[in-house]
Amino acid sequence: MNEFLIANMAPIMFGALIVFMLVGFPVAFALAANGIFFGLLGIHLGLLNESLFMALPERVFGIMNNDTLLAVPFFTFMGLVLERSGLAEELLDTIGQLFGPIRGGLAYAVIFVGALLAATTGVVAASVISMGLISLPIMMRYGYDRKIASGVIAASGTLAQIIPPSLVLIIMADQLGRSVGDLYEGALIPGLTLTALYVGFIFLVSIFRPAAVPALPLEARSLHGMKLLMRTLTSLVPPLLLIFLVLGTIFIGVATPTEGGAMGATGALLLALAKKRLSWRLLRQAMDSTAKLTTFVVFILIGARVFSLTFYGVDGHLWVEELLTALPGGVVGFLIVVNILVFVLAFFLDFFELSFIIVPLLAPVADKLGIDLVWFGVLLAVNMQTSFMHPPFGFALFYLRSVAPKEVKTSEIYWGAIPFVLIQIIMVSLIIVFPNIVSYGDSGHGDTKKPEVELSIEQLQQSGSSDAPAQKDDDLAKTLRGEK
Amino acid sequence: QTAPTIKWRLTSGFPKSLDTIYGGAEVLAKRVKELTGGKFQIQVFAAGELVPGGPAALDAVQAGTVECCHTCSYYSFGKEPTFAIGSALPFGMDCRQANAWFYYGNGQKLMDEFFSNYGLQSFPGGNTGTQMGGWYRKELTSLDDIKGLKFRVAGIAGKVWAKLGAVPQQIPGGDIYPSLEKGTIDAAEWVGPYDDEKLGFYKVAKNYYYPGWWEPGLVIHFFVAKKEWDKLPAEYKAAFEAAAFEANVTMMAEYDHKNPAALSRLLSSGVKLRRFSNEIMQAAQKASQEVYAEESAKSPAFKKISEDYFKYAKVQNAWFSIAEASMAQFLHGAK
Amino acid sequence: MEALLTFSRLIDALTERIGKATTWLVMIVALISAGNASMRYSINWSSNALLEIQWYLFSAIFLLCAGYTLMKNEHVRIDIISGRLSAQSRAWIDIFGFVFFFFPMVYLFVSLGWPFFMMSFSGGEMSSNAGGLIRWPVKILLPVGFALLALQGVSELIKRVAFLRGLIADPTEKEGISAEEQLAAEIAATARGERV
Ligand code: NA
Ligand code: NA
Repeated sequence: MNEFLIANMAPIMFGALIVFMLVGFPVAFALAANGIFFGLLGIHLGLLNESLFMALPERVFGIMNNDTLLAVPFFTFMGLVLERSGLAEELLDTIGQLFGPIRGGLAYAVIFVGALLAATTGVVAASVISMGLISLPIMMRYGYDRKIASGVIAASGTLAQIIPPSLVLIIMADQLGRSVGDLYEGALIPGLTLTALYVGFIFLVSIFRPAAVPALPLEARSLHGMKLLMRTLTSLVPPLLLIFLVLGTIFIGVATPTEGGAMGATGALLLALAKKRLSWRLLRQAMDSTAKLTTFVVFILIGARVFSLTFYGVDGHLWVEELLTALPGGVVGFLIVVNILVFVLAFFLDFFELSFIIVPLLAPVADKLGIDLVWFGVLLAVNMQTSFMHPPFGFALFYLRSVAPKEVKTSEIYWGAIPFVLIQIIMVSLIIVFPNIVSYGDSGHGDTKKPEVELSIEQLQQSGSSDAPAQKDDDLAKTLRGEK
Repeated sequence: QTAPTIKWRLTSGFPKSLDTIYGGAEVLAKRVKELTGGKFQIQVFAAGELVPGGPAALDAVQAGTVECCHTCSYYSFGKEPTFAIGSALPFGMDCRQANAWFYYGNGQKLMDEFFSNYGLQSFPGGNTGTQMGGWYRKELTSLDDIKGLKFRVAGIAGKVWAKLGAVPQQIPGGDIYPSLEKGTIDAAEWVGPYDDEKLGFYKVAKNYYYPGWWEPGLVIHFFVAKKEWDKLPAEYKAAFEAAAFEANVTMMAEYDHKNPAALSRLLSSGVKLRRFSNEIMQAAQKASQEVYAEESAKSPAFKKISEDYFKYAKVQNAWFSIAEASMAQFLHGAK
Repeated sequence: MEALLTFSRLIDALTERIGKATTWLVMIVALISAGNASMRYSINWSSNALLEIQWYLFSAIFLLCAGYTLMKNEHVRIDIISGRLSAQSRAWIDIFGFVFFFFPMVYLFVSLGWPFFMMSFSGGEMSSNAGGLIRWPVKILLPVGFALLALQGVSELIKRVAFLRGLIADPTEKEGISAEEQLAAEIAATARGERV
């Protein structure tokens, strides 16, 4: 029995983790409990040292002084303030009027506004709730297919996760040890491509099932001509300003990605203030929700650190590495298996859990296989985006359900999400087939091999002036004797 | 009496990406195992696997989490300034001089006296040699250019740079490169050509300065918990000591082997190699002495050991300026 | 049991106070961070103290709000199975979870966190960065945060037992409306053009 346990500790521990988490107690504590239980077992079996757990305070301290994770409260706070500032409503209203009279127009408006909101913040809940509240009733009034309407809202809301700035990308960067800025740059084109694919889908629907996405009658418009144009321009100013504050300050070098989040949060506060929507209650609510979200996210990470201490201690990382490097098909085999694994796990786990438990195990293997980790991170982020849309547990569907009119059946929301989950899978394949979609900066990770050139002394001589002071002989003698 | 099987764990203060420094711990583990017929096994963990890098590796030995670590003591400079002396001091000794001080001067004795307050036994276990002075977006033509310079530099060197008017900035690891690229910071220093090349700084900050006067010969140590060390059989102690000697020598050789080729690659990609002007060097040396006076006032141990260190350094530099320097000057100056 | 419930209510009140007060740090740290970036860019002025206080406050947010988040039942669970069970069964799951999952973890962190803090405190550990901060104030957050979390765990355990005995209503039923519902209501009001 003991021999069997000792030989198979890592797979047993991993299997038990699933059981521990399914119990339904908070994930953070279940993760930690798994680490502690198997740690004690390992010590009992002589696999691990008694002093194992002494590493825990240092491991948590490593989370405490993590400047990257600091961006989590910033972006959450920004998103929560922003959603209450009326920005989304104005955008939806104006863009809806602009596109409404064309077939599928309201759906395009939702996608466009979803992408715009995504570029300012990263809170899926807020985007879905706004769009669900405002657009869904209008779409229903004018005869949109409920499945298409709810699907496009849920999916466009999840764009917040992949179009930078986003919490997924921040956490992914932290777990992969890569720069947040690089992940932002890398995710930009995939995020926009995804937006285009959503648009393409609606376009196809408008051709093959025009009744599902009818055009609005012109009398549904309250604004016309110049007035509408002006409204469109003015409603675009605040989101563009915020995009500048968050991404612009990072790209022109005012701020680090973390500070960019703080700039955005400050900007959102100012915007709400300017719109006279900043009340004490709003502020307290936003801070309260932000603090709780930050806490539960960081605690999942703390739990994961307790788990991985034991898991590494019993060489679990080596077990995973052997398992994944032995796959047939090399890099492609690895990518296919990993993506299927993440896709399936995303039914049960949200992206925080996936990022903190699964990504640290996958990243070293990917690195060993020569896969660029920024690219890998973007790929996983697109894949994990489905965790918001998977029926029946996707959070975006859950948020939409909570604000959708009663007539919309839950099954309609589920069915509506499926085409978009398929689009997501197409996007994952596109990234694998065309890896250059994920392009980021000129950032050097030393992979580019330079031609070998002999170092010439002339080069060295030219580059520096040789102005070393000469020393007097007798001074030198004294110094040599240690007298001076 | 048969030799016991002993298993230790070593946490490195470095990630695997710094392969030369990280490799020092693997040299030790491999050699110790061979010398003891496989009986004394040391498992090496990279920074972050058990505990984070930086001062946490040393803390882990002190707390008893692991038996030993491989790291720079200057990461713990915030605990007690004397920790800086174990690794490198601005305008201090280079690799060979530091070895002389540790092995034949008072270095080992004085530092172990200090480290024993923390329950640690120390063994020099590697050296980077004189480091480079970092990557600067703009040329430093005078001392005035340092005023307001946003520089990513840590530890006691940061205090010296602050005295010169720079703004020492801590930027999260992965963000150093993009911050330099975007101009959020103006300069960043790392190690030397081989390690610097991997981080790609040359693509965004073309001015590569030398010498890294704040790290003229960075010593990396093996630290062992004293109570674990005392439990070791004598042969295992000898094996450990011999392996640490080997790691110390081979790391320097490996860097000397890798750096010229890396520097030549950097130069051919358009890097401008620049020497810190005498004006800057002299001002920095003066500022360093001010920092040492301040730290000495705070810590008697720092005062005592740094005085011995610099007294020794002065003799060494005088000696090196004769045969070593003239030979170097002749050879390097020859067409 | 009545005495225990009083004790639980006292703990809840304490947690609520600490939690609510701590949430202000969210805005404070955002303003500090944005201020630091702006000043560094505009007048080349910055300091490591200003950078370090940001992660000190970040640590304070999640460590001092841990109990508060537990009280509000916002530590995420995977409720695929438990979501289909009765409130009584869920209370039993929680009792099991607190005893076997939760308390071992908080016990470890409080007992190991204290010497971790003491080592830094007794040595007067400073940041190793020029102009950085003294370290013990952030390190003490670790044992203190987990101690407060443990205390809230005691309160939650009492509440689960009291619920099973029929003394109180289901404590996991969120009192009032959830944050999402609140947000939805506010957005709906905004959409109707009302001031919130
Ligand atoms: Na986003
Ligand atoms: Na350096």
